[in-house]
Amino acid sequence: MKTDAQMFSVTPGPHAVQVEGVTFTYHGAGRPALRAVSFVQAAGETIGVMGASGAGKSTLAKCLNRIIPEFEDGDFRGAISIAGEAIGHLRVCDVAPKVGMVFQDFESQLFSTNVAHEVAFAMEQVGMDRAEMDRRIVPALEAVGLRGFEHRDPTSLSGGEKQRLAIASVLALRPSVIVLDEPTTDLDPEGRAEVFDLIAKLRAQGLSLIVIEHESEELRAADRIIVLREGEIAADGPPAEVFARSELLTACGVRPPGLGHALKLLGIDARADSVEEAYDAIVRAYPRIAAASVGDCADSRAPEHRAIAENAAGGPPFITIEDLSFSYPGGPRVLDSIDLRVEAGDFIAIVGQNGSGKTTLAKQIVGLLKPATGRVTIEGKDRAQMRPAESAREVAYVFQNPDHQIFAATVEDEVAFGPRNFGLDDGEIRRRCDEALEAVGLHGERQSDPFLLSKGERQRLAVASVLVLKPRMLILDEPTTGLDHREQVRMMALVQDLNRAGIAIVIITHTPWLVAQYARRVVLLRKGAKIFDGGVREFFMQDELLHSSSFRAPEITELSRRFGTLALTTGEFAEWVKGRA
Amino acid sequence: MPIYLYIDRGTFVHRLHPSVKVFALFVMFWSVYWVDNPWALAPVGLVMLWIVQLTDSWPNFYRLRWLFAILVFTTTIAWMVFYRRGAVLVNVPVFHVSRLSLVFGIGRGIKLAELLAASVLFLSTTKIEEFTYGLQRMRVPYRASFAISLSFRLVPLFIDSAVTIVDAQRLRGYDFSQGGPLERVRRYVPVMIPVFMGALRKANNMAMALEARGFGFSHEPGTFIDYPVTAADAVAFAFLIALGAMSFMLYWTGLGGIGPLK
Repeated sequence: MKTDAQMFSVTPGPHAVQVEGVTFTYHGAGRPALRAVSFVQAAGETIGVMGASGAGKSTLAKCLNRIIPEFEDGDFRGAISIAGEAIGHLRVCDVAPKVGMVFQDFESQLFSTNVAHEVAFAMEQVGMDRAEMDRRIVPALEAVGLRGFEHRDPTSLSGGEKQRLAIASVLALRPSVIVLDEPTTDLDPEGRAEVFDLIAKLRAQGLSLIVIEHESEELRAADRIIVLREGEIAADGPPAEVFARSELLTACGVRPPGLGHALKLLGIDARADSVEEAYDAIVRAYPRIAAASVGDCADSRAPEHRAIAENAAGGPPFITIEDLSFSYPGGPRVLDSIDLRVEAGDFIAIVGQNGSGKTTLAKQIVGLLKPATGRVTIEGKDRAQMRPAESAREVAYVFQNPDHQIFAATVEDEVAFGPRNFGLDDGEIRRRCDEALEAVGLHGERQSDPFLLSKGERQRLAVASVLVLKPRMLILDEPTTGLDHREQVRMMALVQDLNRAGIAIVIITHTPWLVAQYARRVVLLRKGAKIFDGGVREFFMQDELLHSSSFRAPEITELSRRFGTLALTTGEFAEWVKGRA
Repeated sequence: MPIYLYIDRGTFVHRLHPSVKVFALFVMFWSVYWVDNPWALAPVGLVMLWIVQLTDSWPNFYRLRWLFAILVFTTTIAWMVFYRRGAVLVNVPVFHVSRLSLVFGIGRGIKLAELLAASVLFLSTTKIEEFTYGLQRMRVPYRASFAISLSFRLVPLFIDSAVTIVDAQRLRGYDFSQGGPLERVRRYVPVMIPVFMGALRKANNMAMALEARGFGFSHEPGTFIDYPVTAADAVAFAFLIALGAMSFMLYWTGLGGIGPLK
C-alpha cells in the first residue's frame, strides 16, 4: 500500500518530457530566445537547467506548459510531448494537470485566503469533485511539510512556506512533471534550504522534476544538468561531468561550484560532490598538507583593508546607532536595543533570516522610519531631526527592486532626477550624470529607455541614480537578487570600486559567497536583535551561530576549515595549498 | 502588518451565506445612494456601527482612520466651495457658508464615509473565495466573479508597492508637498509610472500562474467550499430588504433630502 507521500510517484511511461527542435523568437526580437533545443527527460529524472539571464531558461520552462506560445507573441517551432502525449494543440489550462509549474514570484501564484483552499484551487479549476479534493489535500500538504497549516492564511506564511504551498498545490493535481522556475530567488537561507530539501524528497519519491536555478551547489544532487547559452544547449550531462567544466560554465555566466574550481586550480583531475570528497582528493594529491596548523591561511585582501582603515582612522563614526528599538503599529518588536557604529569607508554585510529586521534597520538609518526608543546619529547629528531628503546626500539607499523607482523616459533623465530635486544647475547635473553613468558602466545607454534594460542594468541604474547625489554611504538591499553570476560579479565589482573610492557600504544579503568575498565586517540580526558584529573570518568560524541562523559558509570555506585553516575564496585556498605543498 | 482586510472571527455575520453578504453590500450602497440628509443617513450608519462592533472589525477602521477623516473633511469643505444655495451665514472669500451648504457638505462626507465603511465591513468579514462563490450563486459567470474578487485582493498589494515607491523617490530628494492641488497631483507621476508598470507585470505574472493552475479548463469548475443557506440568512435577507425599502421611502417622501432643513 502506498503512503501519502508515495501517492505522488507517477510513472507516466518511459519519458516524462520530450522536447524536439524547439525554437522560439519573441515578437520583434532580433534573435531566437531558444534555438533547436532537444532533449528527453526520463520518467523520475531530475534535470537542473542553468545559464545566464537571457540564455533561454524561463523561455524553455514556459514552452513546457504552453505559456509560450499561448501567452507570448512570437514564432514557435518544434514539438513537445508530456508523458508521450503531444501538447501542441492544447491550451495552457489543459496542460495544467500534466505539467505543474512553480514560479519565482510566490506572491503572484497564491490566490486563496486559506492553505487548504489554495491546494484545492487547481483541482477546482479542472472540475474535480469535492470528495476527491478532500482525499488529495492532506497528502499534498504532508508531502511539503505543511500538514497542520490547513486553516492558515497563506499571506501569514514565510517565503519558504509559501513556495512549499505552491508546490503542494501543483502536487495535488499529480502532474507528470513539475517545473520549478528559480523557486528560491526571493528566499532567505532557511527558505532556500526548505525548498531544496523538499525537492530532494520529491526526487527520492520518483517524481520527474525540472529545476531552473542559478546556484550550482544546489543542483549537485540532480540526475542531469542542462546548461543553456544564448538559447542553445551548451552542456548536457551528469552534474559531476558538467560542473567539472569550469571554463564553459564561466563562459555561460554560471558560477562553477567552488570545490570543483578549487581542484582545477590545484591541477587535480578529480570530481568532488562534497567537501569530504574534495578533501580526500587534495590529501591524495598533496599528502603533506593534512598537517597544516589552524588559522594560517593568508588574507589576500588584508593590505587593502588596512589601507582603507588607515584612511578612515581618526574621525568620529559616520553613523552611530544607540539602543535603537522599533515596532510597527500593533506589531511585535522588529528591532530590539540595537547598538551599531558605521565608520567612514566600512564595508558591512547585514545578514539574518527574513523578518530579522535588516531592512527596518536600513530604513531607520535613512530616516524612512523613526525609532521608538534610542537614536540614530549621522556625524553626531540626530537623524530624527532630519527629513529623509535632507540626508539623501549623506546616506543613499538602493531598494531591492530597482523597478520601485524607475519612471523616466531615458536613462539620463532617471539619473538626473535626484540632482534636479536639489536644485543643482544644468552644468553640474550633466557633469554628475556623466560620472555616475561612467561608474556603473551605463554611459553608452544614456538615451535608452530604462524599462528596456536588463535586470542587472536596471539595478546598476538604480545605483547611479543615488550615486549622482555623491553620498558618503550607500546601503544596498539585496543588490544581487535575481541576477545571474556574471551580473552579480559586475554589480559587486562596482560596489567594491565605490568602497575603494571612500564610500561606506552596507549590503543586506543572503548570499554567503558574496559576504565572504566582498565584506569586511558582518552584522547578524536575529528577531530584531544584533547577535554578532565582527570580522568576516571570525563570523565564518562560529559554527553554532551559523547553524542557528541557517547561514552556511561557502563550501570553499568549509573545505579550508577541514584542513584547519580558513579561506574565504577559492583563489585564497589554492594559494594556501600550493604554499604548503 | 497584514495587507488584507479579512479578519477571521466566528461571528454570525462571518457565517452568513456569501450571496447574502454580497447582497448586503449592494443594499448598503443602495441605501446610502438615495439619501443626502445627514440625519437620514444615520440609521444606515448605526446599523454599520452595530455590525462593526459585532464582528470586531475595529482594527481595520483604525488602520484607515485617516482616510475616513480626510474623506469627510475634504468633501465637506469642497461642497462649501461649490454648493452655492441658501442664505449666507458667514461671509468668507471663496467659501459659501450657508446652512444648506453645511448640511449638504456634511451629508456628502458621511455618504462617502458610509460607502467606504460598507466596503471595509464587507472585506473584513468575507474571504475572497466567498466573494467569488457569492457572485457565482447570483449567476455572475465564474471568470467575471473571480476577476472581480481578485481585483479586491490586488488593491492592498498596489498600495504596498506605492508606499515603497514614495519612499524611494523621497530618498532622491523629491518633495510631494510642493505647489497647489493640481501641481501636487502632477508631482505623483514618478510614483504612478512605477506603480502602473509594476501592476502590469504583476497582472501578467498572475494571469500566467492562474492558467498554469488550470484556470479556464472548465466553464463550471468544481467547488471546494459549500455554504448551506440557514435561517440566519433568511432573517438577514429580510432585514436587508427592509433597510433598502426604508431608504427608498426616505427618498420618496423627501425626508432623505436636504429640502426639509431649508
